[in-house]
Amino acid sequence: MSDATTTTTTTKLPVTVDKPTPYTFDLGLLLANDPNPLLLDRSSALEPQLASIARDGCQSLINQLLTACPISSTPAGVLLSLPPPQTPLPREKPVPTPKAETKWSQFAKRRGIKPKTREQRRNLQYDETTGEFGRKWGYKGANKAGEDAPIIEVKKSQEEKRMAEGKSVRGDKRREIRERVKRNERKMRANERRESGRKK
Amino acid sequence: MLRQVKPRTARSKRALEKRAPKVNENPKTALFLRGTTCSQVTQDAMQDLYSLRQTHAKRFHKKNPVHPFEDASSLTFFSEKNDTSLILFGSSSKKRPHTITFCRTFDYKMLDMLEFYLDPETFRSIAQFKTKKVPVGTKPLMVFAGTAFESPVPNAFTTAKSMLIDFFRGEPSDKIDVEGLQYCVVVSADEPTSSSTDPSDPSTKPTLHLRAYLIRTKRSGQKLPRVEVEEHGPRMDFRLGRLQQPDADMLKAAMRKPKTNEERTKKNISMDSIGDKIGRIHMGKLDLSELQTRKMKGLKRSRDVVDEDFDDADMPMEGVKEVSDRIVGPRKKKARDVVEF
Repeated sequence: MSDATTTTTTTKLPVTVDKPTPYTFDLGLLLANDPNPLLLDRSSALEPQLASIARDGCQSLINQLLTACPISSTPAGVLLSLPPPQTPLPREKPVPTPKAETKWSQFAKRRGIKPKTREQRRNLQYDETTGEFGRKWGYKGANKAGEDAPIIEVKKSQEEKRMAEGKSVRGDKRREIRERVKRNERKMRANERRESGRKK
Repeated sequence: MLRQVKPRTARSKRALEKRAPKVNENPKTALFLRGTTCSQVTQDAMQDLYSLRQTHAKRFHKKNPVHPFEDASSLTFFSEKNDTSLILFGSSSKKRPHTITFCRTFDYKMLDMLEFYLDPETFRSIAQFKTKKVPVGTKPLMVFAGTAFESPVPNAFTTAKSMLIDFFRGEPSDKIDVEGLQYCVVVSADEPTSSSTDPSDPSTKPTLHLRAYLIRTKRSGQKLPRVEVEEHGPRMDFRLGRLQQPDADMLKAAMRKPKTNEERTKKNISMDSIGDKIGRIHMGKLDLSELQTRKMKGLKRSRDVVDEDFDDADMPMEGVKEVSDRIVGPRKKKARDVVEF
């Protein structure tokens, strides 16, 4: 380092580094490896020797960066595109495992059923009789239509069956929904069981 | 172990998602903490490392009664609580003065640990160098010099190198501003002295010199700039102490590369200079026994049987001609024509 700095500025400053063993680089990490043995002279000061090693390392790393990496000029500054890092370093957490397929998603894939679009999932639909948009479910939902009509037509045989069970036609739809929810929960549990079994 | 809780609010859900395992991981966070006894020199050194590691670092100020090589469970607990996978534990005892233990965790379990014994004589903190300081979060260039780092089998030096790269690598990015190449961390390892007779004696082990330099570039009159360096600090000299190597299974899991969506380069397909696609294909072994060669009357399989069954009218050729047929195959038809005329 010292001899280079003392040369006059009129001569070209050397920018190349000559070492017996060439450096290896990992430009993705901005890393240079200098495999040359560190021959330190114990009799003279340590710091200038280390600084000269550092200078050589930096010089060759910067040379390599500026020659091997594509440079692009943007308003934000001059950017160097770095390659992905090569040096293997341990991860901090395991690679995530993909989520297991549920029975439904398996079936949907087999049949080519696409997931519902955002528009399809929307709780709003056009009611042609009133000419307004109404909810599909929930408060005043279309699936509850006719539930609390004052008079409901029933079939005699079914009504007798209900009477025997002590139920009325009034809560019929509600019960049906409850049952469907329970069924779905059963399926979810089965999927979870299958997934936990798969891991083992 | 911490409870595995299902998030009840959107905020806690976000927090859990942030620390969940990912394909492209967050930059590692470093945790700085001290043991019950920790010399001022070690604390200063830790402070300097902390300031170089800022934005991805956490720091504890209270004393912790922990001995990492005896029981690392507290450290893994801290790692899990704070989502930090690099731990720097400072301690100082009569037997091991001025020690910084570098620990790495994988999946909140201890992966590897290595002790760095700081030399208090040569230590200089960042504040002792009167130079311009680099802004927080600047990615350093890294240079590792010395043959000790090039060992093909993992040892204390390769582990130290891996840990220091992990420590200084900063945020991963595919682009970097040229202005951001401001400082350089240089780690040089002395040559192992041949005179050392007792390998267990730490004083005979090669020293690790950790230096940080500011990079000054000068016009050289050529395309590439001339680089000069100016010491930025900290200046630390280490000897390496105890090492806990990673468990083989755990290391394998930690080194796993996730599958990428990038298409793999297809083998044996290339493009020539004109732009035509050239492929090399494997044909398998050809079965030459089934090869269909030119059909020749003379080579018929059941010649003798045919001769006996049919009379001579079907066989216009005489013995001599048959022979010639056999010999000059391609002329067969011509010969026959002649006979018919």
